[in-house]
Amino acid sequence: MWARILAIVLGLWLEAAPAVLGYGGLAANGDRVVAPLIVGFAVVAVAEVMRPLRWVTLVLGIWLIIQAWTFGYPPVAALNASGVGVVVAICAFVRGVIRQRYGGGWSALVRTPVQQAEE
Amino acid sequence: MGEPIPPGWTYNPSSWGQRLPLVGLALLGFLIAGYLALYQWGVFPTVWEPFFGAGSRRILHSGVSRLLPFPDAALGALSYLADAVTGAIGPRDRWRTMPWITVIFGVAVGPLSAVSILLVILQPVLYQAWCTLCLASAVISILMIGPAMDEVLASLQFLRRRQLSNRSLWRAFWGLDPA
Repeated sequence: MWARILAIVLGLWLEAAPAVLGYGGLAANGDRVVAPLIVGFAVVAVAEVMRPLRWVTLVLGIWLIIQAWTFGYPPVAALNASGVGVVVAICAFVRGVIRQRYGGGWSALVRTPVQQAEE
Repeated sequence: MGEPIPPGWTYNPSSWGQRLPLVGLALLGFLIAGYLALYQWGVFPTVWEPFFGAGSRRILHSGVSRLLPFPDAALGALSYLADAVTGAIGPRDRWRTMPWITVIFGVAVGPLSAVSILLVILQPVLYQAWCTLCLASAVISILMIGPAMDEVLASLQFLRRRQLSNRSLWRAFWGLDPA
């Protein structure tokens, strides 16, 4: 849960960062494209049944680091975006507590009965 | 009759306790999007905007908002209404008695959120502006996805069991083979 909340907070910060830190152009637009996606997927992944979507935030975090150093970000923006990207990516590895059971989850839809019996 | 909990689950995703909050959120989204659509249609001369000055006005009269033959908020309002109706229809064991409605519910919730996120991205990138109520509507649509999807999963697992036992997927989908 805290990993999702941290990703959401960092996504909101990333959306505000161009205005707060004072940069525009491609760096600002780059941040403002990735930030709502991080927030959106992290919010959906709060639900236990949708927790696998946290891996999308891993991709978004890595992408953010890449664009921070290839889109001509000014130094402060590049440091900020790659910092956010690193933490968001690390958060994706934290699964968090799953309290309920879901009949085998989404993978139950594709596993064969033999595979299910072996577990 | 006990609570109809799906096999291998610890709770019933189709219970009213699970569904009513979603119906409430959808109705709230419907009110917000409906208000914005009426403003876009010119029914209201001004729009409520506490934070971003002219932001709402610019966003709600932007080129993107006029891509359709009707205001884009009207499409949002219609989607929220579909969410509320498909969230409310059916008994508390509808994951097995009405799989078609839970699947429609899931499909109705997904694209609404995708479009909302896209519009949130476009606001600052294309127009250097934000619209408070548009953001509120986007937040509502995102909040609905996670809690809505458990019911979809329960229905799909039910259909998968029917398929694996060589029973008609078609009949199960339309609720003709619930037992």
